[in-house]
Amino acid sequence: MECRELTALALDGKLADSPGPIREKVAAHAERCSACRAQLLALEDTWGRLGEDPDLPLTPEFRRRTMALLEDEMLRARIREFVPPSRRWMRPLLEAAAVVVALVAGFAAARQIGPPASGRTASKTASAASLPENLEKAGALANVSYRPADPQGRIGVTFDVTSRETFLGRPDDPQMARLVAFLVSRGAQTAGEKSRAIDLVSAHYGLKESPASPDIVLALTNTLKKDQNPGVRKKAADALAGFRMTPEIRAAFLDALRTDRHPGVRLVAVEALAAAAKDSPDQKTIESLREKAFDPAENGFVRAKAASALKGIEF
Amino acid sequence: MKEKPAGADDRALIERIRLGDQDGAGELFERYAPALLRFADRLLSDRMLAEEVTQEVFVKVITRAHQYDGRAEVSSWLFAIAANACRDRRRRDRRANVVPLEAVPEPTSRGEGIEARLLSHERRAAVREALNALSEEQREALVLARYHGLPYSEIAGVLGISVGAVKTRIFRAVETLKARFHEGETSWNAAN
Repeated sequence: MECRELTALALDGKLADSPGPIREKVAAHAERCSACRAQLLALEDTWGRLGEDPDLPLTPEFRRRTMALLEDEMLRARIREFVPPSRRWMRPLLEAAAVVVALVAGFAAARQIGPPASGRTASKTASAASLPENLEKAGALANVSYRPADPQGRIGVTFDVTSRETFLGRPDDPQMARLVAFLVSRGAQTAGEKSRAIDLVSAHYGLKESPASPDIVLALTNTLKKDQNPGVRKKAADALAGFRMTPEIRAAFLDALRTDRHPGVRLVAVEALAAAAKDSPDQKTIESLREKAFDPAENGFVRAKAASALKGIEF
Repeated sequence: MKEKPAGADDRALIERIRLGDQDGAGELFERYAPALLRFADRLLSDRMLAEEVTQEVFVKVITRAHQYDGRAEVSSWLFAIAANACRDRRRRDRRANVVPLEAVPEPTSRGEGIEARLLSHERRAAVREALNALSEEQREALVLARYHGLPYSEIAGVLGISVGAVKTRIFRAVETLKARFHEGETSWNAAN
């Protein structure tokens, strides 16, 4: 028997009730272990001392009071039982009745109000050409949504100003590009809205063969440089990577490669710069990629990507 | 010291109470009120409060008999209600931590001499003070084990803790009491 086993038995306070063989083992252990012997005595004494606190007797007076109380409580419980319990089928029936009443009331109310008067339409649709001049002063636009290109190739942007407004226009329409650029730069209220605006740019403006709108490039490069959200910055980098490389875009990527804190953004910058450098090697790009490839503090993926990009560039 | 009436009988009593049988409530009271009163008294060290708690337990049994699902022993359910009620009382009245000597119940000591009665009164007071020096959690576990003979598994059910936690609480409680009763001796841990 181990000391701990003896402790457990003694703590149970049931050594006296233990079977004979266990008692014998305890006795044998206590015989050779003086510490356990002493502590066993102390424990038994402690357990015994606790017995000097006598049990509180239950008085007849307390029994009488309590039985009277319980009698009252039983009566109350029976009275509560007299309340007719709601039947199982009542609840769904009442719910169904409530739905029918609500539908009838709604139908009647709609008939009384009638169709909306002309000129009170909740939403206005207009050409992007009629975009207000002072759009940039409007601040963030609320509840922005986008429509995919219609058969005429026009995309749509809808938002709330004083009423819900929709502007339609082809992506190459300068006014539409201005609206989209505004949404990317500061017209979106949340990172999610901004991301959706950048997705719209990627879907309709990322054509390498045609020059990108300067408004959109500026909006994207500013986003890449300044946005607090790394996800939004990466989306801006992805969108810019889809554009034909220009000095402005290259400068933005080089800046991002040097300063952006998020490796995902730096990785996109490496890929975009490397892809562009394959066609027209650029000294700054090569130096930056080499620097990254040998930077021990750089993220491993970024280093590997920069090294492999350098291999593909003909100096 | 161990009080363990048959579980099936207890469940039948709860069923009778649920059906509004007054005698069922009376039988359950006779069966468990003495133990619950002692339990509450040792946790609260106040006869009045202990009686209130005991009454509260039986009132709750009547109003919540339909909530008893039969998974735990009825005794565990009753002790759990009592333990919660005691905790509520202690939270409401922290004065219960201070044990006036007169709060300790008088023994049924017919025929004892005055000196013997005084001595036994002092010893009881010492035990009660030692119990009150324990933390609430340790005291609950120790009282259930020492004075009500509940096995660790049932104490765990009453207190809503693991069996391991029960053992730890009781071990620490006994160590504290041992040190208090036998000041100057080496501790069990130190001996090992």
